[in-house]
Amino acid sequence: MTAPLIRADGLTKHYPIVSGTFRRRVTGAVRAVDGVSFTIRRGETLALVGESGCGKSTTGRLLMRLVEPSSGTVRFDGTEISELDARQLRTARRRMQLIFQDPGSSFNPRMSVAALIAEPMRLAGVAGSARRVRVQELLPLVGLAAEHANRYPHEFSGGQRQRIGIARALALRPDFVVCDEPVSALDVSVQAQVINLLTDLQRDFGLTYLFISHDLRVVRHVADRVAVMYLGRIVELADKQALYQTPQHPYTRALLSAVPAHRPGAVRARIEALGEIASARAVPPGCRYHTRCPAVMPVCRTDDPALTDLGGGHLSACHLTRPAH
Amino acid sequence: MAETLLSVRNLTVAFQTRRGAFDAVRDVSFDVEAGRVLGVVGESGSGKSVTAMALMQLLPEAARVSSGQIHLAGRDLGSLSDRQMRSVRGREIAMVFQDPMSSLNPIFSIGRQLMEPLTLQLGLSRAAARARAEELLGLVRIPSPPQIMRAYPHELSGGMRQRVMIAIALSCGPKLLIADEPTTALDVTTQAQILTLLRDLQHRMHMAVLLITHDLGVVAEFADDVQVMYAGRIVERSPVGALFDRPAHPYTEGLLRCMPPLEDEDPERLPAIEGNVASPFAMPAGCSFHPRCPYAWEACGRIQPQAVTLGAGHDAACLRHGVVPA
Repeated sequence: MTAPLIRADGLTKHYPIVSGTFRRRVTGAVRAVDGVSFTIRRGETLALVGESGCGKSTTGRLLMRLVEPSSGTVRFDGTEISELDARQLRTARRRMQLIFQDPGSSFNPRMSVAALIAEPMRLAGVAGSARRVRVQELLPLVGLAAEHANRYPHEFSGGQRQRIGIARALALRPDFVVCDEPVSALDVSVQAQVINLLTDLQRDFGLTYLFISHDLRVVRHVADRVAVMYLGRIVELADKQALYQTPQHPYTRALLSAVPAHRPGAVRARIEALGEIASARAVPPGCRYHTRCPAVMPVCRTDDPALTDLGGGHLSACHLTRPAH
Repeated sequence: MAETLLSVRNLTVAFQTRRGAFDAVRDVSFDVEAGRVLGVVGESGSGKSVTAMALMQLLPEAARVSSGQIHLAGRDLGSLSDRQMRSVRGREIAMVFQDPMSSLNPIFSIGRQLMEPLTLQLGLSRAAARARAEELLGLVRIPSPPQIMRAYPHELSGGMRQRVMIAIALSCGPKLLIADEPTTALDVTTQAQILTLLRDLQHRMHMAVLLITHDLGVVAEFADDVQVMYAGRIVERSPVGALFDRPAHPYTEGLLRCMPPLEDEDPERLPAIEGNVASPFAMPAGCSFHPRCPYAWEACGRIQPQAVTLGAGHDAACLRHGVVPA
């Protein structure tokens, strides 16, 4: 058993709600991420799934300390990220990179593809000649041609722009990549290409991924383990097989049953998640999911269930799935 | 034989932009029968949304119908005046868009926006319009309608806003509802609720629906018939069952295969469609799909394939239509 590359412990991010015109005061908090713990092993893909507003993207940014946590810790390869000073953090961040949903919107339109891919290296102080060599290495790795180097982002389709985004992320040879909805903005026929590229790169370079997605089909294909988030908490975490075949938490079951069928007539028995996600500004007492849960019991309205190991690393936070004492 | 509600013949929509001219929809013909759901599947640039805007006669300024006819219940929509068309919109064809936030007016209450078509189009009194609006909110299963009538769009969640948009679209009892990616901006649990609602309303009101989507799963659950569009043309059309069981166009086959399975065995590598979606400014000669097609012959780069009938209501525009394995 190798030591995990990432260990998050009690990660929390609360954004204060400030009210009042003359006397500004904090009247509450948006609990975007509320005590999240997990590990990611070297070379593994941990997927983080959930609906919009569940805190999955914030969790990804907390791991890289792009967002400062309200509390909790992140250890990256044995180093406590929150204790690093600005200079040390810059060095550590070379090993952690981020791939965005829509890379086009984060590119400077006046920069050529070569300059875009070289930018992280330039900021990290890599010499110009070494940058040029690395750009020429990276282009074929992500499926772009050498002559693409001198073109500009607007000349490329969505899928090709995501390839540029991936090349940028890989430029500094990271160990860990946070992929935040990397294929959600792409056409269906192009998604599979980019997913295959990400899995090839992981195999060839031993990359470790946190794969953030709302698409349960894509997650089933890419992940080793899956964490399901609801209102800032992980409600279930398990190996992919276990999560898809024997989901334990009622929310996971509702999510899986809501995915449209693969073919007509194959409509699965749908478990209705009642109503809509509650607000992170006013987190319900007890279990956060109890307002939507079809199996709600009196205890769910008062007691917050802890994330408990049901055996074999299958974790669930639900009063129903809690093992008998 | 069901009655044909909408008939589109040889529709071509031309765009004139700063980068040049191109046809976004190219020689498209199809029918929608009363009370049936036609799914239109395609990727960005396939022409599916432009087709919808042409049906509504709401094309952007840069676009115009350069040829073809659109008949709704026997009337040629192209021959109507703006005023006549305004009364067709809402009463005969209504539309639901992907992003309800940009279709709702942020400064008017939900009630006002719901009542407007009822008073203007149907000529109801304010009291009658209010009663009907509350009824419509109940129909789309919004809890406590009187309270929501007073709310503003930003106070509602995405799913609730989409329910309101559906209520507005249905307010004048249209015969045809065009739903353009109605659930794409929604979370998966909300998507399931909205699709169930749409299917239920479609049955109860015996409406025809033109459902535009990029998601074959949504089509599998909701459509009776499907047409697949690529680069402005219809490449395959079929009853929904046959399309999934026996896709005949290589593009349809590719779309079906590249969707990762949720229950079946997961392949090591996803079968991807290589290459990129054709650019309207550099449209390949012959079949637009041939540069990405694993079965393409030399002739595919020269000849524009015509639709070939393969079975009841099933046809495909492919020179090699027999080649896709069953």
